[in-house]
Amino acid sequence: MLFFQSLISGILTGGVYALAAMGMSLVFGVMNISNFAHGELMMLGMYLAYYLFILFNIDPFIALLIIMPLTFGFGYAVEKTMIGRVIDHPSENQILLTVGFGLIMSNTALLAFTSDPKILTTSYSSSSISLPGDISVSIPMLLSFIITCALTAALYLFLAKTKTGMALRATSQNREAAQLMGIDVSRMSSIAFGTGTLLAASAGAMIAQTYYIDPFAGHTFLLKSFTICVLGGLGSVIGAAVGGIVIGLVEAMSSAYLSTDWKDVVVFVLFLAILLLRPRGLFGRKGEQ
Amino acid sequence: MHLESCIPLNLNRPIFMKNILLAITAAFMLFLALPAQGAGPVRIGFINSITGKEAQIGENLTNGAAMAVDDLKAKRVQVIMVQEDDGGDPKTALAAYEKLVTRDGVIGVVGPYTSASANVVASRADQYQVPLLVPAAAKEEITMKGYKNVFRLNAPADVYSKVLLSTVAPYRPKTIAYVYAATDFGVSTVRTAQVNAAAMGLREVANEKYQQGQPDYRATLAKVKAVRPDLVFLVSYDADAILLMRQAREIGLTPKAFLGAGAGYTTAQFAQQKDISPLVISATQWTDDVNWPGAADFAVRYKARFGKEPTYHAACAYEAVRIMTMSALNARDSRALCAALKAGSWNGIMGPVRFTSYGGFTNQNNHPMLVQQLQGGKYETVYPAQFSRKKLVYPYKR
Repeated sequence: MLFFQSLISGILTGGVYALAAMGMSLVFGVMNISNFAHGELMMLGMYLAYYLFILFNIDPFIALLIIMPLTFGFGYAVEKTMIGRVIDHPSENQILLTVGFGLIMSNTALLAFTSDPKILTTSYSSSSISLPGDISVSIPMLLSFIITCALTAALYLFLAKTKTGMALRATSQNREAAQLMGIDVSRMSSIAFGTGTLLAASAGAMIAQTYYIDPFAGHTFLLKSFTICVLGGLGSVIGAAVGGIVIGLVEAMSSAYLSTDWKDVVVFVLFLAILLLRPRGLFGRKGEQ
Repeated sequence: MHLESCIPLNLNRPIFMKNILLAITAAFMLFLALPAQGAGPVRIGFINSITGKEAQIGENLTNGAAMAVDDLKAKRVQVIMVQEDDGGDPKTALAAYEKLVTRDGVIGVVGPYTSASANVVASRADQYQVPLLVPAAAKEEITMKGYKNVFRLNAPADVYSKVLLSTVAPYRPKTIAYVYAATDFGVSTVRTAQVNAAAMGLREVANEKYQQGQPDYRATLAKVKAVRPDLVFLVSYDADAILLMRQAREIGLTPKAFLGAGAGYTTAQFAQQKDISPLVISATQWTDDVNWPGAADFAVRYKARFGKEPTYHAACAYEAVRIMTMSALNARDSRALCAALKAGSWNGIMGPVRFTSYGGFTNQNNHPMLVQQLQGGKYETVYPAQFSRKKLVYPYKR
């Protein structure tokens, strides 16, 4: 029972990790920027889901239809006004900019919403489905996982089948060559950052139902997203998806069979082991380590 | 040089005299404005977690301290409270204490909130000889090292488990599982709970320490569920308490009692979670329904001012600032303040307060802790008998 319970919990939680990490990976792949404000973008999604529910009684999963275009627009604008300006500058400048932007976001949230954690409680927040063998599956986590799978498939189709997606991949592979081929790489960067913001905010909105919302809530997921991106291969969206599930599973299994206190140790030992054996990550391309 | 050479020869005498008079008057006014030794406003420091992980609870302390200052000012007691934020970090707390005592010239310091910060700051209080009054940190060690300048208002960690286990002892539970945050307070509370539980004949069946802020505790709780404990002893802060109880419900963990020793189980926000919070038993330093002078009135005024129920942290901070200021009124320096704190006794919203030495503690207020249970959406005091109005509901049922 314990094994299957941990397996299910690990996969479901890993799904949300994966969604958060995919946004970060996409931004890194296309723009070659490590976005240290990624956690705050998740926090933005959490607050949007919370207030849409509290003020307009919109279910957090339905609210995604509003949150996604809103946050895409926000990310697009941020890239145009801030991030895009440092894209050709040393990485120190990029790091400082994203860290600073994250600090502004979290402290603005602190002023606007105070430090009181908000709890989003819907009619099914604590509900679960009972399976044979005394196993239970959290309904909000299951719904989050299904939506994550749908978003991952949509992202894959967008990248693989659409002209914009192909242009994004071309920019990710070689920015200069893509520019020479007539691709508007500046626009691609804005689209990538907008999509990354959309994915982070969606992950935030979905986890908001089973987590708590405060101005610093995204910090927990920032380190996890970085770990997942490096584990899956920096810039690889599929790698981030797989990496998220792997981290979720390892956390759950180590909590169940070792100790809850040791789960981060196990995750980072595994992380180091994979990097030693495969420096470019699970799905990274050659020469990207 | 001759003095005459410094004085202008063509003096316009009336203007010159007027300027001289003005200068003397200004100097006199400035002299009056300077605080006389021991006669100016009382200057105290207050270290708290205004930002960081513990900011939510820290806000309650800030509110309580602010109310104390306003109440004192309303009684014409001049007090200046210099606030410092430690962000819940012991290093920052220590730097804040050093700044307060060396640069801000405070006579005494109230705080910090967290056990880890308070423990570190306490270790330096004797070096600077500026009294530290800890309002709500529970780690026993803080007042167990014989520090002369460290005082604590709240009950230490061992009392949490003692009162919680005493509450359920008449029902003769047999097994206990511990799930607790990996913090100084969490570890300290569980260590004493283990001693108290062993004395009661309880068998430990699980011991799970967790890192705060994780989104998923289901695997941990499933592990606890598998050993079917009679009691689940939880130490959690803030929203972790809600997360744990929510996930416990999801996986169907139903012991005979959930015992919440951390602040997370005593908040209004926890009580609002109607599908997970009922019948959870928690230990607290203060409730508004006890007959301590001004407790009920404090709750009413707090709610009117801040729009929410006060937690015990707010009450602790209120009383600590009040005691520190009242003691400092007649003390010319920190040494005299230390003596005043040692000799004094007070009876306010936290009940009778006296800093004494007992059972290995030094300058520790022997505060009676209360046990409450969420019944009908409201915290009801169920232990000890002299303060309780309702009976404990046992065993726990969903």
